[in-house]
Amino acid sequence: MLRRTRTTKKLAKRIDLQYFAHPHPFRTWRFWLSVTIPLFALGWFITQRAQGGQKVYSSGQLSRAHAVFTQQCGLCHVTQAGEFTAHVTDKACLTCHDAPLHHANQAFAPACSTCHVEHKGAVLLQSTSDAACTECHARLRTRDGQPHYVATITSFENKHPEFAALRSGKSDPSGVRLNHYVHLQPNLMGPNNTRVQMTCDDCHRAIDMGTWPYGTETHPVALNDVHVSLRQGNAYMAPPEFTKQCAGCHTLQFDQRFGNEQVPHDKPEVVHAFLLKKFEEYILAHPAAIHEIDPPNRQIPERARIPKAAHNASEWVQFRVDDAEWLLYAKTCKQCHTLTPTTDPLPQIAKSNLTARWMAHAEFDHHAHRMMSCTACHARATDSRETTDVLLPGIQTCRQCHRPQGPAKEAAEGRCYECHQYHDWTEAKPTKGGFTIQQLRGGAKVPVPQG
Amino acid sequence: MLIDHTHRKWFFGSIAGLAVATAAYIPYSLRSPQEARGGSALGLTYGITAFLFMIFVGLLGARKKVPVWRVGRAQSWMRGHLWLGFVSFPLILFHGGFHFGGLLTRALMWLFVFVWVSGILGAALQHFMPRFQTAQLPLETIYEQIDRVRGQLAEEAGQLVEETCSALEGEVSRASERQRAMSASAGTQGGLTVASGLQANQQVSTQLRQFLDDEMLPYLERAGAHAMSLGNEAQAQAMFQRFRVLLPPELHSNLDDLENICEEKRQLDKQSRLHKILHGWLLVHIPLSYALLLLAAVHAVVALKF
Repeated sequence: MLRRTRTTKKLAKRIDLQYFAHPHPFRTWRFWLSVTIPLFALGWFITQRAQGGQKVYSSGQLSRAHAVFTQQCGLCHVTQAGEFTAHVTDKACLTCHDAPLHHANQAFAPACSTCHVEHKGAVLLQSTSDAACTECHARLRTRDGQPHYVATITSFENKHPEFAALRSGKSDPSGVRLNHYVHLQPNLMGPNNTRVQMTCDDCHRAIDMGTWPYGTETHPVALNDVHVSLRQGNAYMAPPEFTKQCAGCHTLQFDQRFGNEQVPHDKPEVVHAFLLKKFEEYILAHPAAIHEIDPPNRQIPERARIPKAAHNASEWVQFRVDDAEWLLYAKTCKQCHTLTPTTDPLPQIAKSNLTARWMAHAEFDHHAHRMMSCTACHARATDSRETTDVLLPGIQTCRQCHRPQGPAKEAAEGRCYECHQYHDWTEAKPTKGGFTIQQLRGGAKVPVPQG
Repeated sequence: MLIDHTHRKWFFGSIAGLAVATAAYIPYSLRSPQEARGGSALGLTYGITAFLFMIFVGLLGARKKVPVWRVGRAQSWMRGHLWLGFVSFPLILFHGGFHFGGLLTRALMWLFVFVWVSGILGAALQHFMPRFQTAQLPLETIYEQIDRVRGQLAEEAGQLVEETCSALEGEVSRASERQRAMSASAGTQGGLTVASGLQANQQVSTQLRQFLDDEMLPYLERAGAHAMSLGNEAQAQAMFQRFRVLLPPELHSNLDDLENICEEKRQLDKQSRLHKILHGWLLVHIPLSYALLLLAAVHAVVALKF
């Protein structure tokens, strides 16, 4: 039978009533850890400050463009005399960058650092958030109170309007007639009576490699220029030119006497002068031709003109020039150009007015999309029969790949900056640098910008 | 501290505060051109609020040091410590826009992670373990007194063994000359029981002393000593059972006491282990909290400057 009892009295006698006054390992450890760990933390901070300068204060890694200035916080964080704070001001940014305004009548201009957020890691500073744009464009206000653009855009996916060129009532303003459908048919008559199948890049290329299959001229392009073009991206398709893309098939012969010789692809006045010169030279060399009667041209069924008989060389030249111009303006030129009769004997040719950039306020890079077939986006091109057809892909085509969440959602970048620029770089002015390498890299004191 | 219905106000207050902070954060982070960041007006609000909470939470130590301060009940301070400390971490996450930032802020965030997690772990331990301890350790004592009590147990065990041995040896000394002679010639003249018994008592006494010296005292005097035979309840029972067979029934109560002493020692060891778990987190939580407060103050000054 257990004789040990645990009465309160017995238990109380066991306890040293002053026990709390004596040191105990647990309390001792707690005390010393509470002293040493904060001291260690402070020591770590002081060491970091001593070794890396102000870098320890940095709230994050600098962007790629500014990473080189990591040691020199004072380049952006300028301390004014007598002030404690060293907040980043636009003045510090403008020391190196000119940044023209967006629009003259924008309601307010945000500070540089509002959109270009630093200390967010090795990001591109121009990759601004949509919120930077929608801060205004979600409820667009202008100084004159009249927004000239859609006033409620919140993102590329939300409320972004269809591209301006595709909105109702818009058409291709080109003065040159072109039927894409016909040009993409098989077995077209090509240069030198060969049968060809044309493809889009026979006429449309972002980078001019110098040779075009249906042109008459080879433009020598230096390999270095090609490389420069590749590096720069060559975002846009150059507007087709007659000599590069058309002349191989669309020949400009004017008279059988001259074989395959062609008139220049130029203004009617130039063509007229060319014809006069040609026929004058011919009649000088062939005086007997005055009395020759032209055989009917079987290759030109439209030719219903009865050749006029000339009495002298001057008349002969005039008649032959008339015939050649009739041929050109009634058939050859008319095939592509819109000719307007005038009081002048020569017609007026409508300006070609080819659109080089369909999106005036946005940017696009064909080179970045080179892995895609042309018709993947320009799907209507193969069926387009009218010049007025706008073959720009619609916004829904872009949205198949581009989403605001971008790479995070396994999509292509879809934030505003991908296509739009805030700064109007046409207004940019050159900036004059003044820093030394030591000042940029951290070996020397940064001068405080004046003004 | 038991987290019970008395925490209801603090709990709902904290949850409501956190809900408001979250409701403000979501549109702010979605619409802010710069994303959520500490330097914005709302970001600063989160940061300042959380820092004030952290200071209050850190003052609990001072409040405990000076219990006579008339600045609210200790329990209220403890509840405030618990809930404001809990809420301050999400506020700091909102403050930094869920980014850990640069070197100093990253260090601060990791410190906070350790402090917060250790705090939650500690709160959970403090909630569940005391009840478990009470149920499991009826013989527990004040933790700081365990060493002292252990010494007392060793002393008590020594006395008990001495008492038992004396009793055994006293029986031997009270035996008659004839019994002693019979004992010496045991097995030749009969009276085997008495003779063997006398011899056995002396042997048991020696064995008991040896048991005290070799097993009990080393076990009682050493903290822990789980690897020793007496540290295991089953083995201890078997050992005492052997002595119970050898000792006369009237001395069994002494054996029971000795066994009880060992049981108390086992419970003290267990209490010691549980105490280390119950309070060990404080060795991480408190020092890191001070380091956090110190560096947070540095961060506040630096943030104001830059």
